Amino acid sequence: MAEVSFRKEIEHLKLGDGDTFYGEGILAVTKALLQSGVAYVGGYQGAPVSHLLDVLVEAEDVLSDLGIHLETCTNEAAAGAMLGASINYPLRGAVTWKSIVGTNVAADALSNLASPGVIGGALIVVGEDYGEGASVIQERTHAFAVKSQLWLIDPRPNLPSLVRAVEKGFELSEASNTPVILELRIRACHMFGSFPAKANVRSAHSARDRLAAAPFNYDRLSHPPATFKQETDKIARRTPAAQKFIVEHRLNEHLGPADGDVGIIVQGGLFNVLNGRLAVAGLSDADGNTRLPTLCLNVVHPLAPEEITRFCAGKRAVLVVEEGAPDFLEQAIGQILRKADLNVALHGKDMLPMAGEYTPMVVGKGLAAFCRRYGIGVEDLDAWIGRVEAQKAEVDKALGAPLPARPPTFCVGCPERPVFSAMKILRKEIGPVHVAADIGCHAFATFQPFSQGNSILGYGMSLASAAAVSGTQTNRPVSVMGDGGFWHNGLITGAAGAVFNKTDNVLVVMNNGYSSATGQQDILSSSEAKDGRGVGLDIEGALKSIGVPWIRRVRTYGIAGVVKTLRQAITKPGKGLRVIIADGECQLARQRRIRPEIERRTRAGQRVVRQRFWVDPEVCTGDHSCIRLSGCPSLTVKPNEDPLRSDPIAHVNNDCVGCGVCGEVAHAAQLCPSFARIDIIKNPTGLDRAWRRFSDWMIGLLGGKSQAAPRDRLQAAE
Amino acid sequence: MTDASDSLRPIKILIAALGGEGGGVLASWLHTAAIAEGHLAHGTSIPGVAQRTGATTYYIEIVPGAGGRHTSTRPPVLALNAAPGEVDLVVASELLEGTRALQAGFVTPDRTTFILSTARVYTVDEKSAMGDGRLESQRMTAFAEKFARRAFIADLGAIARDVASPISSVLLGAIAASGALPFSEATFRRAITAEGKAVEANLRGFEGGLGAFRPRPTSAASAPQAAPAPSADPRFADLPAAAHAVLAEGVARLTDYQDAAYAEDFLATVRRFAGMPGADAVFVRELARHLALRMSVEDVIRVAQLKLRESRLDRVRGEAKAAASDIVDVTEYLKPGPDEILGLLPPRLGRALLARVPHTWSWAMTVRTTRLSGFIRLKGLASLRRVRRRTLRFAEEAAWRRRWLGLVEEVLLVDPAAALEVVQLAALVRGYGDTYRRGLTNFDLIVARLIAPMLAGRLPRSMFAVALLQARIAATRDPEGASLAATLDAIEAAAAPARAAAE
Repeated sequence: MAEVSFRKEIEHLKLGDGDTFYGEGILAVTKALLQSGVAYVGGYQGAPVSHLLDVLVEAEDVLSDLGIHLETCTNEAAAGAMLGASINYPLRGAVTWKSIVGTNVAADALSNLASPGVIGGALIVVGEDYGEGASVIQERTHAFAVKSQLWLIDPRPNLPSLVRAVEKGFELSEASNTPVILELRIRACHMFGSFPAKANVRSAHSARDRLAAAPFNYDRLSHPPATFKQETDKIARRTPAAQKFIVEHRLNEHLGPADGDVGIIVQGGLFNVLNGRLAVAGLSDADGNTRLPTLCLNVVHPLAPEEITRFCAGKRAVLVVEEGAPDFLEQAIGQILRKADLNVALHGKDMLPMAGEYTPMVVGKGLAAFCRRYGIGVEDLDAWIGRVEAQKAEVDKALGAPLPARPPTFCVGCPERPVFSAMKILRKEIGPVHVAADIGCHAFATFQPFSQGNSILGYGMSLASAAAVSGTQTNRPVSVMGDGGFWHNGLITGAAGAVFNKTDNVLVVMNNGYSSATGQQDILSSSEAKDGRGVGLDIEGALKSIGVPWIRRVRTYGIAGVVKTLRQAITKPGKGLRVIIADGECQLARQRRIRPEIERRTRAGQRVVRQRFWVDPEVCTGDHSCIRLSGCPSLTVKPNEDPLRSDPIAHVNNDCVGCGVCGEVAHAAQLCPSFARIDIIKNPTGLDRAWRRFSDWMIGLLGGKSQAAPRDRLQAAE
Repeated sequence: MTDASDSLRPIKILIAALGGEGGGVLASWLHTAAIAEGHLAHGTSIPGVAQRTGATTYYIEIVPGAGGRHTSTRPPVLALNAAPGEVDLVVASELLEGTRALQAGFVTPDRTTFILSTARVYTVDEKSAMGDGRLESQRMTAFAEKFARRAFIADLGAIARDVASPISSVLLGAIAASGALPFSEATFRRAITAEGKAVEANLRGFEGGLGAFRPRPTSAASAPQAAPAPSADPRFADLPAAAHAVLAEGVARLTDYQDAAYAEDFLATVRRFAGMPGADAVFVRELARHLALRMSVEDVIRVAQLKLRESRLDRVRGEAKAAASDIVDVTEYLKPGPDEILGLLPPRLGRALLARVPHTWSWAMTVRTTRLSGFIRLKGLASLRRVRRRTLRFAEEAAWRRRWLGLVEEVLLVDPAAALEVVQLAALVRGYGDTYRRGLTNFDLIVARLIAPMLAGRLPRSMFAVALLQARIAATRDPEGASLAATLDAIEAAAAPARAAAE
């Protein structure tokens, strides 16, 4: 079960005509799928679209009522291939993933889907992980739409617009027999807003009303000779059909005055940022009433040439506001204008940057440059830019040095972190080894204080990425992979490949039980808990079955053991792939499970032992080696109480979950005698108390103070 | 522009928080409260993997009186990003994150109400520094005072801890107290109740945040903290008053560490140096400070002694928030190596054995000091105090101190400013195991490449003090010693032309 519970949101999915939906953008999209009569949904989790699947996984009653078939796919390729159901059957289907990475993984299926096209509407909801907050390489999904002839919707970010994009997206898909990509940027997915809801629609054919027959039609196969016909069909029939639908249904919006000799063409998804800067310039307002003619492209591929020429005709100049490289839209618009022989000055990437996120400041500067060029007064916008830059210069100067960054990091008690502590300890002994990093929480090890990782080649690709490194380096490289990445494709791409090629490689599989970085979704090896979807597949069994010759399991919190096993795997003579399965349940998930249980037992008067760690402030000398090796968020610093010392000392705060790693690190790296474990026995039994009294009595005889808390004094203090 | 649109004046709010602090819940309360008051609310965030304790922001716009448009298919246009210079309310759960928002231009004197918690969650860079890598908090709060229209500054994290609530609800209380939003206090409370998550704790937090600012916007953190004036101590009347506090602490510590005679040795050494020309008050204080620390070095005997301190368990119980009826045990993680264990032997025997034992050998143990078995072991070790003066470690420490003090004396004759730096070099030698050995190595390196050549006239004296300071800072920059090596190289290179000119 995922990190967030969607109990309340599921109720929102059941809203009907006349109700108002309040919530997040991606959940509005989910509701719109139900309103559009979708027959099947699939996908692979990843920010910012994870919630689409997460909520549906929990909404079993909604799904069964509507007869929707739901799959949490093993990877995006599987999700893309799932849309194959719409090639032959009149079924509306939607899949979702994080892009660009997910689209890359799904690319093979998408090409083979796009070629025959679909008869049931097919919608691919991608989270465009671009700009601030993104966690993947910065590329545009647009490229896939262009090369495979998929239509790309980039809607204005407000909830009614997202809902309309889904509804019209299915219609567009069916009208042009082409799958449609709905692209949502991070902020659009997480946008809170509202829209007037409609009743959900049950698909004519679904898991409830099953299709009887499977007709054979060779032309629906992406196989020669049909593929040659399909290629022509895309251009000759499907594209014009889409363009006609886009124009007729006014999917793109003409905003502002009908006349005017200077205009702006903007991606729908960027309209809000643009409007904010127009408003500062006095050229728009909070309702989006722009005073410059603006063509808001909610569908960015294909463009309808007549729409572009109609907008541009009679204008001196047009500015294209298009985020990211290359400038697909600007090129396409330029070609349309040239072919229509329209002499309109075309601006875009000459005034706005080719690469990088279009923040308010970036768009503001580009807009100001454009307006100045064509004699539109933007004094207020210029003044805003000046004010912001002056303050920034003043603050930067006063600060002197840049503020320290705060990247995400391993949680308190994370079971993956100690593996990197072990690797850091071992690095001192055998020197630096090549570390092939992967996608997942473990990629946080590339940050301080671990700074481990030489390459990241994609999800589940670490082992494959180290293949040639292993053949050309003295030490065996270490590849790190999560269980999520392992099942996503690492088992085949990495492990099977290394067995087949007899590569001398070390693979560490972080077996934490969930796809943790994306919100603890269940994966194949998740345990078969009653509320989960895991089926408990065995990673070790899978590796054995493909013939991995050397497999060890380690408990990650036992750092000395991890160091020893890693040392063996890297340095022991011998050939072939060596796999270390690093076992330790995701602590976020574990705490969510055990905390209520511990509270319940404590309240019920049952004996409960809570553990946490502690740094002895009189023994710590403030060197912080422990912090550089452990990296735990709950291991921090505090002012030194010693009047003779000034450097802050290490300190374990109350977030500590008692995983024991700091003690283990102190032992394994032979750090210092400052770490101690505190055991707090709640509701001690009579035996506990008697044993303690005996021990205290003996200690008293030896000149020690009674170790028990003087009850009255403590109570008085409370 | 239509009149209707002209009246749309969104209140723009930016929340800067850390992943896992409940920033999303806070945003949700604000949405709920705004809608309840008949306003339109929309917003967005970029949580992503930043949920994992990274920096994250939430952006909300509230359009007063426009609640009716929630059911419209054409809602007002939300600015998806906060724009610098256009934010009315910035709420920061942590001082650095608040400063980051200010640096990005979101806090401006013309319109921003700035609610800033002075609580610090140190970044990895800050806390992993080998010395003190923390940012200066006072500078950051000064920025807030300067750039905000109204600043509400307090340690809201401490309030959250005191009332045992999430920080998010304390921030909500602070928002209510600031009056920056057109909501009644009751509406804020109802939003917490409606959300239904940990309602009791969150209401406690809300009241805590409200109480922090209710009377008037003041800044508790910016109150200047007066340093206590050093009090004169008749025992040290012949020594500079500035050193008295350190001397008193030193005498007490060394008496506890060994005995009164040992503390007298300490005082005698300080007095000897204090009488030398060039020894000013700062020099005496720093010499006394480092000498006391080096004389009370944490050998095995001292560690055992400290771990049996009577005040310790009360403190542990307090920090662990143990109830009076709970049984609390403390288990120490100890792993003495050959240096520590054989250091307890007489010097000759200890050295002979050390030469035969591998350097990596060590003895890992966990000792439960709150139980008889552990107590007895540490008690035994602590009782070795009587024979400490005859141990190898004691002899080695005494030799190190003689060498250090000898260098201090020699340098004091030629350059008092540099002598103070030689005194400070003692700070490099501290800790246990590798840290301790690294400190000794760095100290030796600085002696060999800076102090000795300077005293011998092979490096120009004019750069003596500055070079020592640079070397000391470099030695604590990275554990691998790369910075120190580079700094020493640079100093030598800079000295080469000067030397050539002199010759």
